[in-house]
Amino acid sequence: MADPARIKPETSYQSNQEVKSETAAGEDEEEGTSGEPSSKRLKVEPEKKKEKRQKVDEDEIQKMQVLVSSFSEEQLNRYEMYRRSAFPKAAIKRLIQSITGSSVSQNVVIAMSGISKVFAGEIVEEALDVCEKWGDTPPLQPKHMREAVRRLKTRDQIPNTKFKKITFH
Amino acid sequence: MADEEDETGFDEELDDGSGGVECGHGKRKRLFSKELRCMMYGFGDDQNPYTESVDILEDLVIEFVTEMTHKAMSIGRQGRVQVEDIVFLIRKDPRKFARVKDLLTMNEELKRARKAFDEANYGS
Repeated sequence: MADPARIKPETSYQSNQEVKSETAAGEDEEEGTSGEPSSKRLKVEPEKKKEKRQKVDEDEIQKMQVLVSSFSEEQLNRYEMYRRSAFPKAAIKRLIQSITGSSVSQNVVIAMSGISKVFAGEIVEEALDVCEKWGDTPPLQPKHMREAVRRLKTRDQIPNTKFKKITFH
Repeated sequence: MADEEDETGFDEELDDGSGGVECGHGKRKRLFSKELRCMMYGFGDDQNPYTESVDILEDLVIEFVTEMTHKAMSIGRQGRVQVEDIVFLIRKDPRKFARVKDLLTMNEELKRARKAFDEANYGS
């Protein structure tokens, strides 16, 4: 089994990376240990990549620590809210189960809460952009939110299966 | 966040009875008001966001969850929502994809750590 200290999340910020999205998250690290001769060469490369990624993560952690230590009190407050706020798992679970009619696993609730928070963040950030562009100040008003939603829709970041676009008449 | 304007109390009180002044999706009770306020502050809004904006955002989030659930039910194993389906639906969006991967990996780590801790305490 891989050393726990070397287990790093296989996050990638480019969607081109060949992360196997179907396998369980914990097994992503075991790719090179199958023992077949054809994969021996592959054994060395993932390890080099893992060490590089580890170093990059540690650099990033250090940089974050330096940044957070220089925050003002208001910034610390906001950062704490940013990290700690989350959707209540019970409510999300109830919502999903009311739609499917059957029970869902805990991982599904975790995943759905996580991406919902990212979704909310995208809307708020876009709305703040709109607010700034229109020369207004926070707090955000509904017109900013609606314009943000309109913009995100044109970028296909808001799922919509209700109204289908007719490409050719 | 602290209970500020009268509007918050107004909405919550009337939702049990005849519905508030501003009904979004019918007379459904607000599910995420408190958490969404903290979240909006964390993402850059004012410390006291407008209740109408929070309501709009809640409607959007509920619609998002509903859409994702319906899509997940229609792929993979029909009628059920599984993690693999969610990951598949999210594959094109780099931020959300990375976030889901992070969360699931960390959850596995925590489970392993808890299990190791329990075995250390009660194991042979």
